[in-house]
Amino acid sequence: MTRKGLRAMATVMAVMLAAVLGGCAGNGGNTNSTTSSTGTTNSTTNAATTPGTAQNGENEEDKSSWVSDKPIEVSIMLSDSPSQPLKNDAPSHQEIFKKTNVKLNIQIVPAGSYTDKKNIVLGTNNFTDIIYIPNTSDIVTYGEAGIFEPLTQYINEETMPNFYKFWQQYPEMKKYLLNGELYAFPVVARNESANGFGPVIRKDLLEKHNIATPQTFEELLDALTKLKEIYPDSIPWTGRKGTNQLLKTSCYMLGSGYGDNGIYYDHDLKQYVFGPASENFKAVLDYFSRAYKAGVLDPEFATTTSETMESKLCSGRSFFYLDNSGFGQNYTKTIQKLEGYEDAVFQVLPIPENSFGQRRATAYATELPGRFYALNASAKNKEEIIKFIDWMYSPEGSDISNYGVEGYSFEYDENGEPQFIKEYVMQFKDAQPSDYYAIYADLGITKLDWCLWACNTETWFKIQKLDGNWTEIADEYWDIINSDEAYVQPMIMPSFTSEEAERIQDILVDVNTMLEQEYNKYIMGEVAIDNWDNVIAKCEQMGIRELEQIYNDAEARVNAQ
Amino acid sequence: MQKTKQSKVPQSLGSKIFSIVNYTILALVGFIMFYPMFYVFIVSISSAQYINQGMISFLPKGINFEAYERVLQNKDIWVGYKNTILYTVLGTLINVVLTAMCAYPLSRKEFYGRGPFTVLITLTMFISGGMIPLYLVINNLKIMNTMWAILLPSAISTYNMIVMRTSFSSIPDSLIESAYLDGANDIQILAKIIMPLSKAIIATMVLFYAVSHWNSYFPAMLYLNDKAKYPVQVIMRDIIIESDMSQAGDMSGMANVAATNYKYAVIIISIVPILMVYPFIQKYFTKGVMVGAVKG
Repeated sequence: MTRKGLRAMATVMAVMLAAVLGGCAGNGGNTNSTTSSTGTTNSTTNAATTPGTAQNGENEEDKSSWVSDKPIEVSIMLSDSPSQPLKNDAPSHQEIFKKTNVKLNIQIVPAGSYTDKKNIVLGTNNFTDIIYIPNTSDIVTYGEAGIFEPLTQYINEETMPNFYKFWQQYPEMKKYLLNGELYAFPVVARNESANGFGPVIRKDLLEKHNIATPQTFEELLDALTKLKEIYPDSIPWTGRKGTNQLLKTSCYMLGSGYGDNGIYYDHDLKQYVFGPASENFKAVLDYFSRAYKAGVLDPEFATTTSETMESKLCSGRSFFYLDNSGFGQNYTKTIQKLEGYEDAVFQVLPIPENSFGQRRATAYATELPGRFYALNASAKNKEEIIKFIDWMYSPEGSDISNYGVEGYSFEYDENGEPQFIKEYVMQFKDAQPSDYYAIYADLGITKLDWCLWACNTETWFKIQKLDGNWTEIADEYWDIINSDEAYVQPMIMPSFTSEEAERIQDILVDVNTMLEQEYNKYIMGEVAIDNWDNVIAKCEQMGIRELEQIYNDAEARVNAQ
Repeated sequence: MQKTKQSKVPQSLGSKIFSIVNYTILALVGFIMFYPMFYVFIVSISSAQYINQGMISFLPKGINFEAYERVLQNKDIWVGYKNTILYTVLGTLINVVLTAMCAYPLSRKEFYGRGPFTVLITLTMFISGGMIPLYLVINNLKIMNTMWAILLPSAISTYNMIVMRTSFSSIPDSLIESAYLDGANDIQILAKIIMPLSKAIIATMVLFYAVSHWNSYFPAMLYLNDKAKYPVQVIMRDIIIESDMSQAGDMSGMANVAATNYKYAVIIISIVPILMVYPFIQKYFTKGVMVGAVKG
């Protein structure tokens, strides 16, 4: 009995094991069929929400912009954002359905997990009809794999009239071409105000101590040194995220450049340069080392974090930072709550002149914000989806995906410009985390939602001006930024072939590992600036000129297209 | 009992010093363990103004519960909570039942093919299929975007199964033989003899499994597409990570990122329930872990 029972159990387990193993093997060879099966999964999950479909089209006049006679469903994978939580069937999505007969099924992936999730669905070729691609490197990786629909065939006056306009308007878009083929539609920004890294200083202190607004970086250093003398315990200049961020934010203004990892496009020289391996970089290091010596630069500059920066600036211990100049308005709000600091104001300075007599800075990307949407090569209804995407680039599509529903959240003014309706906006006046994010989330609109010609600052300004949350400091801030000629748009990197990308990676990793150990020594004055020539020589041995060559060749190749 | 008697014996100077040093070090280590959590708590009830100025170290300043109010108003968190509880309860149930059913036969010496099965099962501890094959399996099983995608792949943890098997094998064979003589079959023996005798190990397993379900976010993020199915950890992770990302700033930087006290309130809210479970299971817990350790 005992033996028999146990033996039976053993057999059952053996069978189960075999089944599991067999299952694995079977799945291995089955990759291709997965795409179609996801398609069905997607549609079944949303089946409950589609009954609205049947009622669509009661109003005959609206049919002009329909992309399909039958209602079709398009699935889109998007990254969520806690500031603006996405949802399906938001008013703007319903309006899109009404206008185009396309039912959106948005797969909302938490922002923190988006990269992982995106890699796995792309890696298994198992993704939605349209997928959000946050950066160009994915286009290189997956474009050649054939899982994205090649798009140049559709880009012409006839098939995509609206997108074609932007294609003509922004020749830079050609840089997204990979071997002459476009694999993802770039989001185009609509009337975006451009700010960027900029010097931000406690304006009230300058006025209080009769210090003139610095016009050059030398005067800036003098001003900060003076403040240090008046407040010996202070740390006038602080930053966040250590040396790397310090270089990233300040190098270009000081006459060299750093980009994200050393390589940057110099708009004055009209070519790509590896900043740290250039002669001008010595001026940058010299400036930092003098600031360090004078006690102006945070002695902990190499280990700062966002939290330390915020706490130093908001407690009155620091007066200056050079980073995203928009932060200043938040800091102003916080510090004014502190006793004795009611008049404290952080305000951006017009970009000062550097030692080479230039005034220059890079703004954040405001024309092409670097968001992409790729189309699944095995999507159903491709023709309709292309039409639908083109509609999203049209003024009507853009108004709906940025302002919501006409008559409910916005109306057209006498110039035909969309304006939010005040009664609607006022409901969100005190909403968290901010009035405009609450409205974006409620309507399902703007850049972070499904939107191809997208607003961000335009709608935000309009909302705050309506509900009274707009401040004078903000007005002054945008005046300074918008009237400053020094800001240029960031250069879009050309696409590289996979061999080039690999070579770039190899060189950059080596060089940057070496350089990281050098910067601090020079800034802290342990080594004389003249010795930097040796470092440049080392970089050259490691192939830094070849790297610059690859970048400039790729740039030339792209421009020749 | 014996220990209390021993402690009344007069101690030598050396051992007194040892005790003092020992307690000091342990108190210090205990403090190091306790402080981060305590810090998260006091920040979560302090006002944002003091936090931004870095003025909170040991006591909360400007005590208020606004952050908690805001967290509790967040619908996503409530939905997440409901899901987490469902996944934890159901998942733990599946885990414990299946683990016991796997451990029991493997713990009996007379089980046919016990050696090879143990080897095969143990192998899975060191060799796994990897993320993409697992994803494809789940996709082809058509359990993608259902809770089974989270519960079934992790139904048995090999390590826990081996601990349980070791614990089961300490139960005398004669007990089981006598049950057979009385006419019980294997299922009955497992349910009526083995399980009641193994409360300690079951409690341990419940704790292990429940904590891992409670803290898990990766499978949920990978296999679920529907926001209404996310557990609270996914939502919490997003709130906490996001503020780092938006600080990196492709935008104008004026976005009000989640305040520190809000983030910390979310953390507290998401760990409190599982923290409450510990004291109740602890007495079994130490015993259960020891059973596995000594008899291994």
